[in-house]
Amino acid sequence: MLYIQSGLVALCPAIASALFYWCNKKTKFAQLSEKSKQGIYGLVFGLLAVLSTELGVSVDGALISARDAAPLCAGLIFGAPAGIVAGLIGGVERYFAALWGVGIYTKLGASLATILAGFLGAALRKWLFDNKFPAWYYGMAAGFVLEVVNMLLVFSGNMKDIHQAFTLVENFALPVIVLNVGSVTLTMLVISFLAGEFSRARRKKCKLQLAQTFSRWLLLCVMLAFVMSSIFIYVLQTRLAVDDAEKMLSLYIEDVRDDINDASDENLLKLTREIRNELERSGNYDETTLLALLDEKDVSEINIIDENGIIVASTTPAYLGFDMTSGVQSQEFMALLNGEIELVQRYQTVSHNAGVSMKYAGAVLSSGGFVQVGYNSQRFQSDIYQQVVGLTRNRHVGENGFMLIVNETFHLVSDPDGHEGMHLNVTGIQLQLDGASNGSAGNLEAEGQLLMKTVYGENCYVMYGVTEGYYIIGVLPQSEVVFGRNISLYITVFIEILVFAILFVLIYFLVKKLVVENIQKINRSLEEITGGNLNVSVDVRTNEEFISLSDDINSTVHALKGYIAEAAARIDKELEFAKTIQFSTLPCVFPPYPDRTDFDIYATMDTAKEVGGDFYDFYLLDENRLAFLMADVSGKGISAAMFMMKAKTLIKSHADKESDVAKILTQSNADLCENNEAEMFVTCWMGILDFKTHIVHFANAGHNPPLVRHQDGSYEYFRTRPGFVLAGMENVKYRSGELTLMPGDEIFLYTDGVTEATDAHNQLYGDDRLVAVLNRLAGATAKEICLGVKEDVDAFVGEAPQFDDMTMLCLRLTPKHMITVDPNEDTMQTVVSFVEETLAQAEVPVKTAMKMNIAVDEIYSNIQRYSGATKAIVECAVEENRIMLVFTDNGSPYNPLEKEDPDTTLSAEEREIGGLGIFMVKKTMDEVTYEYSSGFNRLTLKKIWQAEA
Amino acid sequence: MNIQKTVNGSTLVVELEGRLDTTTSPKLEEELRNSINGITSLVIDFEKLEYISSAGLRVLLAMQKIMNKQGEMLLKNVSETVMEVLEVTGFIDILTIE
Repeated sequence: MLYIQSGLVALCPAIASALFYWCNKKTKFAQLSEKSKQGIYGLVFGLLAVLSTELGVSVDGALISARDAAPLCAGLIFGAPAGIVAGLIGGVERYFAALWGVGIYTKLGASLATILAGFLGAALRKWLFDNKFPAWYYGMAAGFVLEVVNMLLVFSGNMKDIHQAFTLVENFALPVIVLNVGSVTLTMLVISFLAGEFSRARRKKCKLQLAQTFSRWLLLCVMLAFVMSSIFIYVLQTRLAVDDAEKMLSLYIEDVRDDINDASDENLLKLTREIRNELERSGNYDETTLLALLDEKDVSEINIIDENGIIVASTTPAYLGFDMTSGVQSQEFMALLNGEIELVQRYQTVSHNAGVSMKYAGAVLSSGGFVQVGYNSQRFQSDIYQQVVGLTRNRHVGENGFMLIVNETFHLVSDPDGHEGMHLNVTGIQLQLDGASNGSAGNLEAEGQLLMKTVYGENCYVMYGVTEGYYIIGVLPQSEVVFGRNISLYITVFIEILVFAILFVLIYFLVKKLVVENIQKINRSLEEITGGNLNVSVDVRTNEEFISLSDDINSTVHALKGYIAEAAARIDKELEFAKTIQFSTLPCVFPPYPDRTDFDIYATMDTAKEVGGDFYDFYLLDENRLAFLMADVSGKGISAAMFMMKAKTLIKSHADKESDVAKILTQSNADLCENNEAEMFVTCWMGILDFKTHIVHFANAGHNPPLVRHQDGSYEYFRTRPGFVLAGMENVKYRSGELTLMPGDEIFLYTDGVTEATDAHNQLYGDDRLVAVLNRLAGATAKEICLGVKEDVDAFVGEAPQFDDMTMLCLRLTPKHMITVDPNEDTMQTVVSFVEETLAQAEVPVKTAMKMNIAVDEIYSNIQRYSGATKAIVECAVEENRIMLVFTDNGSPYNPLEKEDPDTTLSAEEREIGGLGIFMVKKTMDEVTYEYSSGFNRLTLKKIWQAEA
Repeated sequence: MNIQKTVNGSTLVVELEGRLDTTTSPKLEEELRNSINGITSLVIDFEKLEYISSAGLRVLLAMQKIMNKQGEMLLKNVSETVMEVLEVTGFIDILTIE
């Protein structure tokens, strides 16, 4: 009942662990701080240890309980603090439990073991199991070792009474170990099951780690060595103990034998001396005298031997004439003829008659020869009976062993238990002495041999010796013989388990520290190297092997780095050539049209790699039309660069043949789609600016919108719905749009590499920054604008690497003095004032200015009067030595230069006034040109002028 | 454009100040036509005239034609600029320039 009770308590750690595991998963318990959690674990498991103590089975001052299991489990499963707290609670309580009579004898050892349990669990978890709970078999081993330590502690705590301590340990070691180890193992199994270790292990079939493999082999070897040494010690110690027992018994038997011999020898010699004295006194050596003495002295025989060793007189007539030298036994007596005075022999078989045993003694006769007295056992035994009885009574062999003396009929003569007179059977000893009584050889159990007998129901080592017709039997309980062996075996086994456990942990730890951790360190470095970082060096310098491995890896990586650098340098060179070629295809001489003063264009391209996928382009289609574009090929590097070349060439060739920008892109798209296996595409914004009309026809193939600034305004995005990217899909039709760019206006095209440039904090440069810097630069030259933007982006990016090409183009129309008017209204004065002011500002001499005024008057009045235009633009540009006046109107086409000059020689009456104005203009100006295009008449006047001296 | 007219019997002296162009010519033409009846001598003083355009020339031509019938017309103080125009247009041959 008590055992069942403490068995049930042993289940508690498993139940508590499962409950805590569940709480940690499903309840608010998980939200507690780790510190308080550890406290709770420690308290609960400490209380479980207390419960084990109180419900344990108390045996002989020891306590059989599963107390140590709870702190160990707490340490292994829940963490170091929990284990230590639980151990302290359980251990201290166990110590004081002795006050109310629980296991007083083992209180110190047991309480120390419980405290140790907590620390052991904590230490193992922290240093051996990487702060995870171990597999169940490790838990089992830990529990086992712990209980062994417990036993050793009980031993060493009770050294002064080693017998009791040993007996105690022998009795309670097994149940305590079984209870505790069982409890720990069960708990670990339950937790492993809950954590899904088993199903995971089955699924993963994970390979063993090095330390695990090592530890398994180590465990095997250790177990083998352990078993072998245990067996060896067992055999050796047994042999030694039995030898000791044998020696001790034979020594005791010898002592008793000597006592008996001494007594019987003394007795016979005394009789012999008396007989000799009688004979010498009477001087009669005849048979009658001898027979009388035989009766008187109650001996078996009396022989008279002469100087020659011949029996001359005897109480046994058959012996007469027997030569004493003829037998081994009788020969001994010849010593009496050679100077000895007395002699006594052991009880033995006589020479004359092999069937008879007799004890003889002899004494020299003064008349020569000697008298020999024979003596049979019944006679001398009755003589010395009193001396033999009680001879062994106070003899102890070892602690519990004893001696017995039995006579030839196996009746006890001397027995410490007082069974004298009874048959030997009363002790339980049965000697197999066939023929022992008749002295024949072939005893099954020989004299002096160590025998195993059951004496009084106890296994005992038994030895017997024979003397003077007595059997002297020494008895030594087996338990006493092997006590020494067992105690040393137990201690050895316990200490071996402890030493092996420590060794095991130490080697496991060392392997992990010296080998596994270094390998992991090297692996981490290798992973980095594999990841592309060739600057990592492996540096494990704990021992020769790892130094050599580290050095080998480092030199390999170094060599590899060299090869890679070599290859990279070659590629770099190739790419440098490619870059030169790529850039040479883009217009890169600035200013591109030095004789054109009406516009200013600049573009830059910075590739993230040696070659890029961005491109820009511009070219004059004719004198009055400038095509310009910005494009971005998907991807980067060689492939993008090659596709870029293709796209650029195609667009250019279509632009040469086609004037509609939408058609240019449509056709380019169709061509690019052909055989576009690489699935690349291009975004492109292309515009064609007509300098006369100031209109840009543009088309957008998926490119980001340009930024436009009108004179005196600020930069703003010019957003229109873009078409699909080029080379993306066949049969895409692009639409064209219109954008007015007047002199003084600016347009800025770029690729997303500009706005998507990132700084070290991964922030984008963005549209806002671009617009801000452009507005700051407004009015500067196209080159200054491009370089200014680039500088700003560079400053923003800082040290951060660039991943995209960065390309931009700025087109700026030189500001001109011009005015747009409605000819249907009275705007003559406006136009005249405009021109006059323009010229005055340029400090044109009044005379020249007057001529220009006349020209304006003539031309503009014509437009007002005859053209029917609703819109007229008058530009006035004053260059260094030339004045340019341009009249553009949307009236009906009319070339005034085609009109015939009036005849200036006619008389006033014949004169016609018409045509005079244009004639005057032609005369006063240096050059007058007319053209009509896109619905606009355009008349350009040029006048050379010189500043006044 | 300022037009200063001075009538002395049948002689009309017109002083012009400013520009004789498309804008101002109709005004001069109107002024002259209103005052020309009975005038036998028309003197136009160009001293303060800045320039003349074909519209001005048209007025001069029209006046010249009228004065050819009823007397004579004289241009006074013609500046170099205006003279250039008159030369270019051949008006120098049909106008009397003092």
